[in-house]
Amino acid sequence: MAPKVMLLGDSGVGKTCILMRFREGRFLAGNFISTVGVDFRTKVVSIDETKVKLQIWDTAGQERFRSVTHAYYRDAHALLLLYDVTNKTSFDNIRAWLGEIKEYAQDDVVIMLLGNKADCGSERAVRREEGERLAREYNVAFMETSAKSGQNVELAFMAVARELKYRQSGQRDTNKFSVQDYVREKQNGKSSQPFTQQQQCPQCNTN
Amino acid sequence: MSDNIEIDPGAARESGLVTTDSFDNLERMSSSLDEIKSTNAISQSEESNDNANIEQLDESTNYVKDSTEENEIEVSREWTSKSKHIFVLSQAGKPIYSRYGNEDKLAWLFGVMQTLVSFVQSSDDTIKSIHAGDTHFVFLIKKPLILVAVHKTQESEQQIVTQLNYVFNQITSILTLTRLKKIYEQRQNYDLRRLLTGVERLIDHLLDFSEKDPSFFLGAVQCLPLTSSVRDSISSAIIAACNKIKNLVFAILLANNKLITLVRMKKYCLHPADLHLIFNLVQASESLKNSESWTPLCLPKFDASGFLYGHVSYLAEDCQACLLLLTVDRDVFFTLSEAKQRIVERLRRGNSLEAINEALVSSDANWNGAGFPELRHYIYKSKSTAQFYQPPIGPPYSLRPRRLIDVYKRSHQRLHSSTRPLKLAFERSASEAVLAWDTRGFELYATFEPLTSTAAIIASVGKLLDWVKKREDKLFCLNAPTF
Repeated sequence: MAPKVMLLGDSGVGKTCILMRFREGRFLAGNFISTVGVDFRTKVVSIDETKVKLQIWDTAGQERFRSVTHAYYRDAHALLLLYDVTNKTSFDNIRAWLGEIKEYAQDDVVIMLLGNKADCGSERAVRREEGERLAREYNVAFMETSAKSGQNVELAFMAVARELKYRQSGQRDTNKFSVQDYVREKQNGKSSQPFTQQQQCPQCNTN
Repeated sequence: MSDNIEIDPGAARESGLVTTDSFDNLERMSSSLDEIKSTNAISQSEESNDNANIEQLDESTNYVKDSTEENEIEVSREWTSKSKHIFVLSQAGKPIYSRYGNEDKLAWLFGVMQTLVSFVQSSDDTIKSIHAGDTHFVFLIKKPLILVAVHKTQESEQQIVTQLNYVFNQITSILTLTRLKKIYEQRQNYDLRRLLTGVERLIDHLLDFSEKDPSFFLGAVQCLPLTSSVRDSISSAIIAACNKIKNLVFAILLANNKLITLVRMKKYCLHPADLHLIFNLVQASESLKNSESWTPLCLPKFDASGFLYGHVSYLAEDCQACLLLLTVDRDVFFTLSEAKQRIVERLRRGNSLEAINEALVSSDANWNGAGFPELRHYIYKSKSTAQFYQPPIGPPYSLRPRRLIDVYKRSHQRLHSSTRPLKLAFERSASEAVLAWDTRGFELYATFEPLTSTAAIIASVGKLLDWVKKREDKLFCLNAPTF
């Protein structure tokens, strides 16, 4: 089983950084490394003691690469759609991205909306509630992440991997596993630990 | 001619590189892409996709200029003291690129440039350059763009125009000429920066690269020195892994701005200028180092009307050579990814990875001991293969290699001046003696200690040519392998 996951979103929202954090546990500080076209990487994760090899497509956010990325939409099983919480435009463009997804991706594709750079502090331009509202409107899972601190990065990929695994093993109908519920559960379940959204990112609530 | 091929070092009957000297003419667009596609009976429906994109370009740009305050005119001392400015603008005068400074703040200046161009155009003429003291303004009008250089360097107008052409080709390589033209046909006022996000980095890099690397003014490529058996086995590893793959046009292996091998589809050659853009892309893109990438790439000399698609990856953690597999099919990533794995396995089995690594670290320093005590440095260009060789730059230029490059640029200009080209140029200054020699088969540029006698120089040059001839197998790619 080799589910395909694609990272989408405007240029500079942190797609490559979030992937580096997930794959290698490190943060690409310093220079902005712009992705050229589409980058391909894999990562093996284990879910309920089964090994799952995720094939991850990291796409360039620039408009000129769209024609290439479109070609890969239809093969994707899951999409992580990112915006940058310090960049309102990247959030506003999410609707356009969702439109594109609807046009090019498979109907049953798993979509997760991620508001990245949640460690931003006072530079925040998009409140968490706004992200949540948008996610509800389109019925997709949502969380805020930070490639820098690592907040929710593992969770995002694992939730997607789990969902894809359940789907492939045909448990979907019986168990009705849903990414949204899973995410909610995980986040609530961990609320006493230091790695929750609320404690990691107090400014989310102050807005 | 055939006699020369026997004699000239580094010459070959067939070359994978185009060897014409013409640099500028994209107008005579070849249709290599169509040819390849149709010979392989591939449906062309995908072409429509590119066109469809254009309609989606709406003007919701973020580049709303906030004000037209006079104070925004950016003329800091640091900015004015730059030795070469490069600007790109649309025919309508919209800023697209400025090498230094924020182009939005320089909008007034772009306006002036556009006015100068259109003023001369209105009398059915074309502005080429303006010279004011030691400052030169060079214009290149490449519809639908205008490129301008403002410089105080010693370079000739021809050399500056070549550089501007490279900038134009870089932009074309990102968008294709067809799309570039279509965009402006549909909307003259279009802000092209919207489609060029991140490309300024490539252009910045290209400009620096083209100023410090002789391959640009020579119109040639340097190869990584490898014994011919190693190079042949690398080529055959690539051929063996790829010969069943349809529509693969070029396989290019390079390291450290040097070509290791180029395998091509029969009938098709690569122009050095296109290869320079590829070198630039690889060198300027950090992100290629960590993964396999898939990217559209237009090679303007090969076919300015459409994209090739490239699988780009470094061979291995322990071998930093970059492999590009260029095809006309846009969705064969996995086919090429598997081919790459096979290539690496073969190269590893044949110990070629080690050979490449050795060639990369060996500075080839022994050339100096070969009996040329007064020779400081040289460049040898083989015309029939569009390749050149130069030893690493040593003292007294190690700290300022640009100075040596400038010396060569000047000599090159004297050989290739459009008004009075020379076959042989010799120049002695307080700091060095330079010989430049243009023959039918090769060009040679050699720098000597300033006090070397002419007789000694002539003797050295003869010996040097013999020496290059003896090592030509290693210094040049003499085969032009095909799939």
